Amino acid sequence: MKNPRRVLYNIALWAVAIFFFSPIAWIALASFKTKNGILATPPQLIFAPTLDNYADFFTRPNVGQYFLNSILLSVAAVLLAILVSFLASYCFSRFQPKATGFLMFLLLSIRMVPAAASVVPVFLMYTAFGWKDNWLGIMLFYAMFSIPFSVWILKGFIDGVSQRYDETALVNGGSRLHVLFKVVLPQVRPGLIAAFIFNFIFVWNEFLINFIIGGKTTTTIPTALIIGVSNNQGMDWTFVATLTTIYILPPIIAIYFFQKYLLVGMTFGTVRGEV
Amino acid sequence: MSAIELHGVCKAYKNKPILHNLDLTINAGSFTVIFGGPASGKSVLLRLIMGLEKPDRGQILIRDTDAAHLLPAERNIGYIPQSFALYPHFSVYDNIAYPLTLARVDKASIKARVEDAANRLKISALLNKKPNQLSGGEKQRVAIARGIVKDTEIFIFDDPLTGLDFKLREQLFDDFKRLREAMDATFVYTTSDALEALMMADEIAALANGQIVEQGKTEDVFYNPAHMQTLYNLGFPPATLLNGTLERYNGKFMCHTQLFSFPVSLSDTGSAPTDVRVGIRPQHLCVNERPTPNSLKTEARIILLEDLGGELVIYLDKDGFTFESVLPHAKDHLLNGDEAVVHVDPRMLLVFDPQSGMKIGQGVE
Repeated sequence: MKNPRRVLYNIALWAVAIFFFSPIAWIALASFKTKNGILATPPQLIFAPTLDNYADFFTRPNVGQYFLNSILLSVAAVLLAILVSFLASYCFSRFQPKATGFLMFLLLSIRMVPAAASVVPVFLMYTAFGWKDNWLGIMLFYAMFSIPFSVWILKGFIDGVSQRYDETALVNGGSRLHVLFKVVLPQVRPGLIAAFIFNFIFVWNEFLINFIIGGKTTTTIPTALIIGVSNNQGMDWTFVATLTTIYILPPIIAIYFFQKYLLVGMTFGTVRGEV
Repeated sequence: MSAIELHGVCKAYKNKPILHNLDLTINAGSFTVIFGGPASGKSVLLRLIMGLEKPDRGQILIRDTDAAHLLPAERNIGYIPQSFALYPHFSVYDNIAYPLTLARVDKASIKARVEDAANRLKISALLNKKPNQLSGGEKQRVAIARGIVKDTEIFIFDDPLTGLDFKLREQLFDDFKRLREAMDATFVYTTSDALEALMMADEIAALANGQIVEQGKTEDVFYNPAHMQTLYNLGFPPATLLNGTLERYNGKFMCHTQLFSFPVSLSDTGSAPTDVRVGIRPQHLCVNERPTPNSLKTEARIILLEDLGGELVIYLDKDGFTFESVLPHAKDHLLNGDEAVVHVDPRMLLVFDPQSGMKIGQGVE
């Protein structure tokens, strides 16, 4: 017979999980309902599902563009951030320039600044540079915002790679770049994946900056959700439900396949588990 | 001809001197062991030779060429690090082939040389495995194979047997000696283990206080050490060090210690200090055996007997001072708590300056 405490523990865990998952389930189910079905009181748990919302969704103008913007901005910004962060964290780890500890603290504190606090200066700067609604400009902003966290994760991993690897390569004729990309990089792959997933989710979900300094050519899905929620008949719930359901799929798939790397990300590489 | 020379080399980290005015000459074709205690600067010395760090001062010559501006790769040295440093994402074959791949040697030559190195170290069956599938001894053999596959005649071993079990280390002692003879190369090997140094070295360079305090043939350094640290560390159990005072008597010097008083022959009578340290190897202290006419005697109590199979270690106590004796065979009649007569040939008592640690004389009959 099972331990009663363990049974209670499992019930509590399931209750918390269901509580937090229910809004997601609601919006996902809503995407298969008619507009009246979504707003019905009491809510319909059993209903005839329809794919009309999806058929309608893909005929809407610019939907593909929003997705493309979200994907390209997220992937490009995070890849750039990881490249820069990898070089920076190697430098911090191996050469330990003066005030490394302070610089690392400063980097992390940048990430702790709430986006709302940087909106005005960023807006003024982007207006002055003429970078508003500029794909490269927005991508650079996201990359900049992704660098601190990536440096923290990757430095933890690179610290764990013995310097004897570097030295063996250098003595045998390898260059520093060879050491970086052929010796160290393959050994910190879990850290790279963790940094990628964390920052991808951040950029994918980012709304405020995109809303303020973005525009028609750089609108991502979170912004599209806001600007497309109402039509002539009020709130367009079927569009919201369908777009949200499709929008949350990529992070869910990524988290499902790479969940073991998230732990190393949350602990800055100090807890590696079986990755 | 020398393979490596260091002249007046200094190196400090954060103002803490590690190596100070160090001079060292490593003869071509020798198996030179740089012997020193933990954190004595052995690895720093090797890193300077390999060009992984620059000296603060001094000159390093490799093959009679000033190495100041040579990159690590340009020094053409085979390197076997302490921690194996096998690349986990490479197979054993690729790990061994690594120096050749970097040197852009053609694939056929790489294959032949990797197989030759693997045969020498008896790891041919492991070539397709990944490092995480190997035992500690196998990993070390792969690391050695990677080091020796390089087309060079100078090889550096940075304390490569640390952490391996004794049996494995013994096997690798043989491997190293065989390899050096077969390759006719210069092996520079660091260790803090006396047994490793004594079993493998043609020459020992003793590192203490950031300097090479003595260098010479293994037998000379062992039997006639010039520095107190060498006497103490190079041997098992460690040598006994006694506090002594020198006294001039009728133009001769007598040394008084807590165990023996004996006449001393000093190398420089003019500058001899009053307080000295006297060292004696446990193997030279005899217990309850028939003394020679000139041997020195004292009485002590046996506090512990350790039978190591081939030899017997006897722990003795005299008025609160403990020391050890080693007999080459078991003695059934010795018991804990027994009073024993300890005697020594006075010529085996070495006298050191406590400040510099250098030998200033030894006992005479």
